[in-house]
Amino acid sequence: MSEKRERKERKIKLNVINEPKDSYSGGKSSLCPGCGHDQISSVIISAAWENGVEPHKIAKMSGIGCSSKTPAYYLGQSHGFNTVHGRMPSVTTGAYAVNKDLLYIGVSGDGDSASIGIGQLIHAIRRNMDMVYIVENNGVYGLTKGQYSATADIGSKKKKGAINKTQPIDLCALAINLGCTFVARSFSGSKKQLKSLLKAAMSHKGFALIDVISPCVTFNNNDESMKSYGYVKDNEVTLHMTDYIPHFNPISEVEVPDGHFKDITLHDGSTIRLETISEEHDPTNAMQALEALHDAETNAKHVTGLLYFDNTKASLVEDLGLVDLPLIDVVEDELRPNKDMLEKINNAFLN
Amino acid sequence: MKKIINDFTINVATANGTGSQSANLILLQSLFDMGVPVSGKNLFPSNISGLPTWYIIRLSEHGYQAPGNQTDVQVLVNPATWEEDLAALEPGAVVVWNENSKLEMSRDDVISYPIPMTKIARGINPKLAKLITNIVYVGALAEILGIKQSALESAVKKQFKGKDSAIELNTNALELGREYFRENLAKNDPYFVEEREIEEKQFFIEGNEAVALGCLFGGAQLLSWYPITPSSSLAESMIAWIPKIRTNDDGESNCAVIQAEDELAAAGMVLGAGWAGGRGMTATSGPGISLMQEFIGLAYFAEIPSVFWDVCRVGPSTGLPTRTQQSDITLLYEGSHGDTQHIVLFPGTVEECFEFGWRAFDLTERFQTPVFGMSDLDLGMNRWACSGFEYPNEDMDRGKVVRDRDIFEAFEEFGRYLDVDGDGIPYRTLPGSGMAPILYRGTGHNPMGVYSEKPHDYLQLMKRLRDKIDSSRDVLPAPILREENECEIGIIYLGSMENTIQEIDDLLESTGLKVSQCRLRALPAHSEIEKFIERHKTTIVLEINRDGQLYGILRKEIPIELVPKLRSVAYSDGMPPRGKIYADLILEILQEVEK
Repeated sequence: MSEKRERKERKIKLNVINEPKDSYSGGKSSLCPGCGHDQISSVIISAAWENGVEPHKIAKMSGIGCSSKTPAYYLGQSHGFNTVHGRMPSVTTGAYAVNKDLLYIGVSGDGDSASIGIGQLIHAIRRNMDMVYIVENNGVYGLTKGQYSATADIGSKKKKGAINKTQPIDLCALAINLGCTFVARSFSGSKKQLKSLLKAAMSHKGFALIDVISPCVTFNNNDESMKSYGYVKDNEVTLHMTDYIPHFNPISEVEVPDGHFKDITLHDGSTIRLETISEEHDPTNAMQALEALHDAETNAKHVTGLLYFDNTKASLVEDLGLVDLPLIDVVEDELRPNKDMLEKINNAFLN
Repeated sequence: MKKIINDFTINVATANGTGSQSANLILLQSLFDMGVPVSGKNLFPSNISGLPTWYIIRLSEHGYQAPGNQTDVQVLVNPATWEEDLAALEPGAVVVWNENSKLEMSRDDVISYPIPMTKIARGINPKLAKLITNIVYVGALAEILGIKQSALESAVKKQFKGKDSAIELNTNALELGREYFRENLAKNDPYFVEEREIEEKQFFIEGNEAVALGCLFGGAQLLSWYPITPSSSLAESMIAWIPKIRTNDDGESNCAVIQAEDELAAAGMVLGAGWAGGRGMTATSGPGISLMQEFIGLAYFAEIPSVFWDVCRVGPSTGLPTRTQQSDITLLYEGSHGDTQHIVLFPGTVEECFEFGWRAFDLTERFQTPVFGMSDLDLGMNRWACSGFEYPNEDMDRGKVVRDRDIFEAFEEFGRYLDVDGDGIPYRTLPGSGMAPILYRGTGHNPMGVYSEKPHDYLQLMKRLRDKIDSSRDVLPAPILREENECEIGIIYLGSMENTIQEIDDLLESTGLKVSQCRLRALPAHSEIEKFIERHKTTIVLEINRDGQLYGILRKEIPIELVPKLRSVAYSDGMPPRGKIYADLILEILQEVEK
């Protein structure tokens, strides 16, 4: 029996830890049909499944907004926390401090991340908090019916209202300047690219920011909007083709592409392969990354790909200086010093 | 002249940042080591250097710990407050003043002891003269009052532990201060210090350090904090103690510390830790609690264990950051928008600071709700006598956490918010366990933890939450009662007022009024509180704030027929409570009741 037939006969396809893809699915989405966020949710499901992460070892974190509702729609076997507006990074940080063994995937929006929660985002980056942080970026507040957010591009116009004249905040440029160790931009319509970036982010130890342009079909998908499907499709500048080779796949068996490419080894031994399209982009060069963002902004384009990467920095867990065991598994006897210790303290105070 | 022994108040007026704190602590410690009942209050400005600061030391054979009603011995070092301090003195007070400060002694009705403090200090070390000046007045005071040299020397050693040159320098300065008085002035005042036998050995400790130790013995696993007066030393104490008691031989600790970017993030981290199954806490003050409100509501509604210590300062707004008040009672008890109610613990002594430090974690995990500890600047940042801390007499209570799959499987139906036992406290599983995963949320939810806006779900949830908190009443620390037989008047008070209550009681008794005392130690109020009110004709709720916050809470919660028995005495001027002010206010209110 050929291998192909054998696979066909096995009704359910399993991943490297023998889990079907269903183990990673979630509830039914209540977002508007066609919403970019739903595409991102499906990519999260695929990425986690293909990476072979144990579903219950993932923590789904979010703030408030359309994007932050999505954890209900993926990874139904993972615990999650839909926290408060803009404060998901701090809750994640606290959870991480006591249980560093989970894979923390945070989902946020442009209102959540670029306005009310920008301070927490900045400080999570500064600590190199070990998490994947996805911004589902559509330039408007959806749940409150279409106000501009701080990432709306100058000259862009949403379905109702005036042209935006306020300077946007580019979260990728901000993150690079803060020394974020993994910075990528993608588009919810570019599922292949998004999936390989997301898988790479999951293999990264440290803060991985993926800013995903995710059109709001209800309030900001008209032709004059620079975050509409049509506009992004026509104006996406792709830095490189991205391919992810998981650590459990021998890289020697992976087909080598024609032309130039660059392999980046991630913390868990997986590889992200960046195939040059026109000019080579060096993601370890912050200046080059900022230049690419600047050029794109000047020309009203969206540049996508792995903008910046740095695997030399310690992540938060190394700074905390904790015992190996996740703190929640430390037994009570060790958490409470014994009676003799208190005696010693009392005596030291007395003398 | 009749001798006044061990019963007077010393006030030292200096400038902030001149090293006067060390000098005053040496003075306090040496009196303490002589067995003299003594307390010290640091009145410092919100400033690093230059602004006026006062240190008040009360010696009292009765054990009164509040600042006295008047200053008996004034030390004048700070020219900035010279006239003000002098003007406040009663005739006959002692003034020990720096002769080199270019200011005159403008009163002739006080006992004046001019000391060339700066000159003596310069003679020892011109560069350090400013610091040494303070030790010189300690030396002079020691000579005037009769403080033992051995007690002084041991206090100096304690203060400058291991720093030999500092010990030598300060001991020398003390001696020169003494010598100057002995050779140039003659004692003509009535104040004396006499050694007393020490019945029980005690030590001095700040409330903040006591809470810090309590939290570490409570198994705190995360401290996230943002610096704020007067709570910073609580967090800093924990940081100092972790390497000693919560760290293994490889230098790895089992209590994480993160200095957050603000109080919102600090609270968020505490919730994150609680959600993940750990013991998270923060330490802050009123302004920080204001910023944490949103997370407090989330912790209440999503039922996340979390511990918040509030070391109160004077509000509203930035208020008086370095003064003391009990003004966050309502803020804590009813924190966040919507209908909420929280468990609040009020330690009144350093021993209780320690105890409530560990207990708060057991309560928060047992009831799956935020737990607050409320102390204040007076209790938190001043030093109090302590006989030693008692080891927790109970095992840790980790609450209803399902950790084993066997137990989990035994549940007929598992819902995060399902009231299985009928006590309002549901079971929870932890992230990473793979058991009954749910998406925690601050939105309305049904017993299964699924989003719901249904009226029935909301009503049931809010009722259960109310009943759950209500059921904690008699589990929380019970009030401490000191009752006289057949007393008509009762006083309910809380927290650091413990240090003034006896003086108030004695002042009232001196007018012929006997009262019963009831120290409330937690909210929601213990059932004993209601009974106490019932037993007395009139009960006064005594607190250090303007509006009578505890009075307001009790009024709302006691049966309506008891409400007329309740009266409020609330007063706060930022200073630690002085007995006479409160005693007078109580008498005033009682006169009104009589009418």
